[in-house]
Amino acid sequence: MEISGPDLIRAFEMLGAAISMGLGAIGPALGEGYAAGKALEAIGRRPEEAGLLTRTMLVGQAVTESTGIYSLVIALLLLFVV
Amino acid sequence: MMTDLEWIKAAAMMGAGISVGLAAIGAAIGEGYTAGKANEALSYRPHLIGDILKTMLVGQAVAETAGIFGLVISMLLLFSPMEGKPLLTAWAYIGAGFSMGLSSIGCGVGAGIPAATACQGIGRQPSVSGHLSALMLIGSGVAQSTAIYGFLIALLLLFKSLPPEVTLIPACSLVGAGICMGFGGIGPGIGEGIAAGEAVSSVARNPVTMSLMTRTMLVGQAVTESTGIYSLVIALLLVLTI
Repeated sequence: MEISGPDLIRAFEMLGAAISMGLGAIGPALGEGYAAGKALEAIGRRPEEAGLLTRTMLVGQAVTESTGIYSLVIALLLLFVV
Repeated sequence: MMTDLEWIKAAAMMGAGISVGLAAIGAAIGEGYTAGKANEALSYRPHLIGDILKTMLVGQAVAETAGIFGLVISMLLLFSPMEGKPLLTAWAYIGAGFSMGLSSIGCGVGAGIPAATACQGIGRQPSVSGHLSALMLIGSGVAQSTAIYGFLIALLLLFKSLPPEVTLIPACSLVGAGICMGFGGIGPGIGEGIAAGEAVSSVARNPVTMSLMTRTMLVGQAVTESTGIYSLVIALLLVLTI
């Protein structure tokens, strides 16, 4: 198998995109699940505040999601742009 | 000097081991956690042995599915016909093992958490055991979804027709698709399991909130699922651009 420089770079872009998105997905999902769990616990204690708690949960999850989106952006950049 | 067929066979053995070995980690942790919490609940309410044992076994069966997916992929790898396949198949087999094995870790653990809290909840509120089992099954079913994505990518890698010549770029794409979907499946599985577990324990405290809890749980789990879907998209892009 003959390996040229540009081939090697392209191949490692593929691997890099995979590692970026794969590992980048672990943290946000764990954090969002924890936020959802605690919101559900709070709604169980005070069901009348369900609207407020759901809204706060979604805001918190949106912030938690940001690193997942960074990973997605870097993976797409590696696949299609660089 | 090794022939192409020998390389492909060696990779299939490696992929089979990775698939079932990693998948076994998550399923076993989830089931053990469920059994532990069931025993804890039984120590307070020994007369509820029937209900708690039934819920524990159903919950463990759901957690086991991730392990069974790993076993299926491993069997397919061991016994699929390999004569005349291009050498790139070897890389696809290793990718399939990573995709199925790693994504099952999260889903096994995630499905075990709501099963454990359902056993505790039945100890607390035996009268709503039907509600608790239903919510547990919905929650663990959603937590299994990334294992199903991993299974999908593994099947795609196993049965895709590949070009005959070997170059480094498609080889890295095939292994990369497996790694991407595999690691991407760990987080959503565990996160959705935590959300479902808290929902089940809240319903056990306050059974009238069942429909509100189901709705909020599904919203929270949908957001948690998003990174799993990003991983699926990147893995599909990697496989399908070859």
